[in-house]
Amino acid sequence: MPAVQETIDRVRKIDVDQYKYGFQTEIAMDKAPKGLSEDIIRFISAKKDEPSWMLEWRLEAYRRWVTLDEPKWARVHYPKIDFQDLYYYAAPKSTPGPTSLSDVDPELLKVYEKLGIPLREQEILAGVQKTDASELEEASDNVYKSGRVAVDAVFDSVSVVTTFKKELAQAGVIFCSISEAIREHPELVKKYLGSVVPTSDNFYATLNSAVFTDGSFVFVPKGVRCPMELSTYFRMNEKNTGQFERTLIIAEEGAYVSYLEGCTAPQRDENQLHAAVVELIALDDAEIKYSTVQNWYPGDAEGKGGIYNFVTKRGDCRGHRSKISWTQVETGSAITWKYPSCILRGDDSSGEFYSIAVSNGYQQVDSGTKMIHLGRNTSSRIISKGIAAGFSQNTYRGQVSAHRKATNARNFTNCDSLLIGDQCGAHTVPYMEAKNSTAQFEHEATTSKISEDQKFYVMQRGIPEEEAIALIVNGFVKDVIQQLPMEFAVEAQKLIGISLEGSVG
Amino acid sequence: MLEIKNLHARIVDDGTEIIRGLNLTVRAGEVAAIMGPNGSGKSTLSYILAGREDYEVTEGDILYNGQSILEMDPAERATAGIFLAFQYPMEIPGVATMEFLKVAMNEQRKARGQEPLKIPEFLKRVKEAAASLNMDMTMLKRPLNVGFSGGEKKRAEILQMKLLEPKLCVLDETDSGLDIDALKIVADGVNTLRSPDRAIVVITHYQRLLQYIVPDTVHVLYRGQVIKSGDKSLALDLEANGYAGVIGQAA
Amino acid sequence: MNMHATPQRTLAETALIDAFGERLSLLPGDGAVMLKRDDAIEAIKSGLPTRRIESWHYTDLRRLLTSVPDFDPAAVAKAIAPIVEGSSVLPVLNGVSSAKWAAVEGVTVQRLSEKLTDGSIAPGLDSYGSDDAIGALNTAFVADGYFIDIADGAQLDKPLELQNLQAGGQTHVRLAIRVGAGANAVIVERQAGEGAALVSSVSQLLLGEGAEVTWLVVQEQPDTATHLAQFKAHLGKNSKLTLFVMNAGGKLVRQEVVVKTTGEGADFTLRGINLLAGDTHTDVTMVLDHAVPHTASTEVIRNVVTGRARGVFQGRINVHQYAQKTNAKMACNTLLLSDDGEFSTKPELEIFADDVVCGHGATVTEIDHSHLFYLMARGIDEKTARGLLVKAFVAEVIEELDDEAIVEALEARLDNWFVAHG
Repeated sequence: MPAVQETIDRVRKIDVDQYKYGFQTEIAMDKAPKGLSEDIIRFISAKKDEPSWMLEWRLEAYRRWVTLDEPKWARVHYPKIDFQDLYYYAAPKSTPGPTSLSDVDPELLKVYEKLGIPLREQEILAGVQKTDASELEEASDNVYKSGRVAVDAVFDSVSVVTTFKKELAQAGVIFCSISEAIREHPELVKKYLGSVVPTSDNFYATLNSAVFTDGSFVFVPKGVRCPMELSTYFRMNEKNTGQFERTLIIAEEGAYVSYLEGCTAPQRDENQLHAAVVELIALDDAEIKYSTVQNWYPGDAEGKGGIYNFVTKRGDCRGHRSKISWTQVETGSAITWKYPSCILRGDDSSGEFYSIAVSNGYQQVDSGTKMIHLGRNTSSRIISKGIAAGFSQNTYRGQVSAHRKATNARNFTNCDSLLIGDQCGAHTVPYMEAKNSTAQFEHEATTSKISEDQKFYVMQRGIPEEEAIALIVNGFVKDVIQQLPMEFAVEAQKLIGISLEGSVG
Repeated sequence: MLEIKNLHARIVDDGTEIIRGLNLTVRAGEVAAIMGPNGSGKSTLSYILAGREDYEVTEGDILYNGQSILEMDPAERATAGIFLAFQYPMEIPGVATMEFLKVAMNEQRKARGQEPLKIPEFLKRVKEAAASLNMDMTMLKRPLNVGFSGGEKKRAEILQMKLLEPKLCVLDETDSGLDIDALKIVADGVNTLRSPDRAIVVITHYQRLLQYIVPDTVHVLYRGQVIKSGDKSLALDLEANGYAGVIGQAA
Repeated sequence: MNMHATPQRTLAETALIDAFGERLSLLPGDGAVMLKRDDAIEAIKSGLPTRRIESWHYTDLRRLLTSVPDFDPAAVAKAIAPIVEGSSVLPVLNGVSSAKWAAVEGVTVQRLSEKLTDGSIAPGLDSYGSDDAIGALNTAFVADGYFIDIADGAQLDKPLELQNLQAGGQTHVRLAIRVGAGANAVIVERQAGEGAALVSSVSQLLLGEGAEVTWLVVQEQPDTATHLAQFKAHLGKNSKLTLFVMNAGGKLVRQEVVVKTTGEGADFTLRGINLLAGDTHTDVTMVLDHAVPHTASTEVIRNVVTGRARGVFQGRINVHQYAQKTNAKMACNTLLLSDDGEFSTKPELEIFADDVVCGHGATVTEIDHSHLFYLMARGIDEKTARGLLVKAFVAEVIEELDDEAIVEALEARLDNWFVAHG
């Protein structure tokens, strides 16, 4: 059948090569020597001017890490990583730490401009507030009010700038780099850091605890609704450098915050390592919404290069009636190993996980969530949409468990996979564990390809094949896209289209 | 407008021949009814006209305004003005009906070198068409055909037909699953589209629909061939005496 | 931290290894068979599976198998009546097959001990993966069972009931059956007994082109017995297998189902009921390979958990790259009726072909309160109403079997359990 052949041909010339963010930037960098040792950790800690308790915390994690083996259970395959062949610290020389925008190297600002951070955010990053409503309306059919977005920009190992800090401070919200928080708010960091993801949690989290360089810190005090979206853009630039960011978000009683992270990296033949840890803490009646658009470099059409993305993200619904919601759009990275989870500790707390994972080329995705029901009347919801194309492998791995005391625990899980082409794989591995007779779990999963009937129907209305498939795929992921902050929904939709280019026609 | 010449076609998967030397001519302005017993190839014919890849034409040709359409893909045929109202319209989860209508109308406009419709103009057209079919606008905000009743799906098909303004309309068993009220609304919708520059092919098993959409010509399809053609009285004859007589004469 | 201390052997591991040394001279088998046994015991020497082995994640055999009974050749197993009257019965009593049986047309029966002695079964003792503890245990110790051939075209009008009846001690049995092209049969596999036994039982089924088989596993061990079983089948072209598994007993039970479609048009149905009570652990683990195009499968598992029972269902559907047009559906529904009970389920899809329709669903719930209310509103007391609803929940799966004699027989087993555990 000609259509099948056509699809195969298209898959063969997949366009992952055409990664939009593949440029690199020549900026003078300050680097630690290659390799990992206690001395390197001392070097990082000293560079960041950290208090001694932080250094001790790191060293303890390091001593633990050397006794651990890499986890093997995920469906991802890659050559052994030589952890001594990496740089663990790289910072632009001109920017010793977070500064005001006017101090930032103009070369760096150009990077963020080039990253395709949408025009609005670029201007916001430059401190210009966009008010022209008509233009916004044109940008999307959805009429929405322009929400201002505060941005923390992390370049390799350091945060280069954080915007809107003053205005946020007026509301009582602390939004800064984690390095700054360690210096300026040690009591908060001490209290919460490692309280959700302990230093001993897993191989990559332990490594991160030892060597983390930067990341964002958010603290929303009691009763405060954060007045704007917070956002961090992570950029890996330097060769052979691992990025180990650490993010800590705390919402006190009744607080609300919505946070978004975006990630890109240059196109390189070597694989680069990214091992982040994100911890969320929601106290009584607090709500945290965490959205990710992950677009690290996925590697080329032959599977060469790309980011190894080993990430530990976990939210603790510590308070009663608290809520944590994870939304992720994963289109990048050669390997994604990531399970944003919720510990539903408080009574009546709820957790959500909405995910779109698109894989093409030789990408390998093993992602999902854990919903651990500990408190009474806790509920969780999981919606996962996987799209596999090219030669990629796309796995959903998730766990839902209700402990003895978690009376009336509720879970609903839906994971659907779409296969495009016959050289890729889609896998679903859910674990459901009920230890309570009042628990109610519902799980459903499907795997299929885009139905020929649907495609024919859409094309019969005059919509060409490429558009027809894009339309159907966008319909497939709609439930998750709707969860993203409006400003990023359009961007995410476009990104999915780009990621599938060449494989869907 | 439509000329089918000695058409032979088979299912790609298993090679079964469904259409076996079919000849049919439909002129502009004409409403042609194609009737036939189950399994005679009626639905297959509609799919082949629309360009479904599951069928392969092995012999003969289909001319649309004098040009062969066999090499055109379904979207190209649709843009050229061929519209198929499906017997079983597909559900497209997550795609709002409104969004779908807009994309379809604008893609067709684009292919014809026209500017996309301005939103107010688009909305106006949809509202008018929906009102004429007794359709609620809230229904159009729902994903296309998802959770629609049988009658709603058929109405949505006619709505699309009205908005896309095709030149050759093929209605595949549009009456199936409709109650009498819905049937009248759908038939009225089709009748308003009758015009001297448009041809309508109504595929149906029963004569019932033809009471409301009165055909100019009636063709009986059996085993992949047109075995008898006539005017609307042929449909009445079939209703009264069944297909056996006509099939007997042909055999 | 470079020292890797060899983990100390558990009592059970030691007992198994010692038992092998003691039994070796009594085990039937030619050189080829004995070599397989040696490999198998080596696998056991390297340790029983723990929860770190993914396929044993919820059944840590090393921890759960706390003791192993000695062999007891003198014990006498009691014969039982077949579930369907008039069935042809082939019993294995305390691990020993019967030397004589009533002939059935089209069916050739051989004692497995003979096939072991002459070595002709050796290729059938297939190699096992690192997580195949049941296969290894059985291969090391298997002494008897049956080898059955159902001729091409044979139509069995009565079920064939294979009984594995233990009498305490250890029993290791293998049932190997080939069903010829176009043949048709109902086969019942009974697993029961009266002792605190360790049972390993492996069933192997080969379905020829167009063959149709309904296979019922009825497991009713006492709550002192450990029952480790495996059912393996290859489905030829256009063949059809309906496998029904009922677990209604045992202290520690693991039933593995390993099915592969090897011919186009093959169709596999699994229906399972797990009735769990007391302080027991029951695990049904299925691995289904769709290896060729155009095959279909559906699995429905219903579980009822009472007391302190722990239940597990793992189901993995693998769709190979060339297995286009596969249609696979799996559902696992659990009624968790006790706060001390637990149920874990892991329904997996591993899909490498794109033109497929695969899905699974899983639920864990308590009894639907609106149903309960409805029955009580009709004057039925709560206990009776609950009983009716729970029974209906599992009986649905049986009724689907669409063979009156079998449905009746299975419902009788079901009633039996509800009377004992109601």
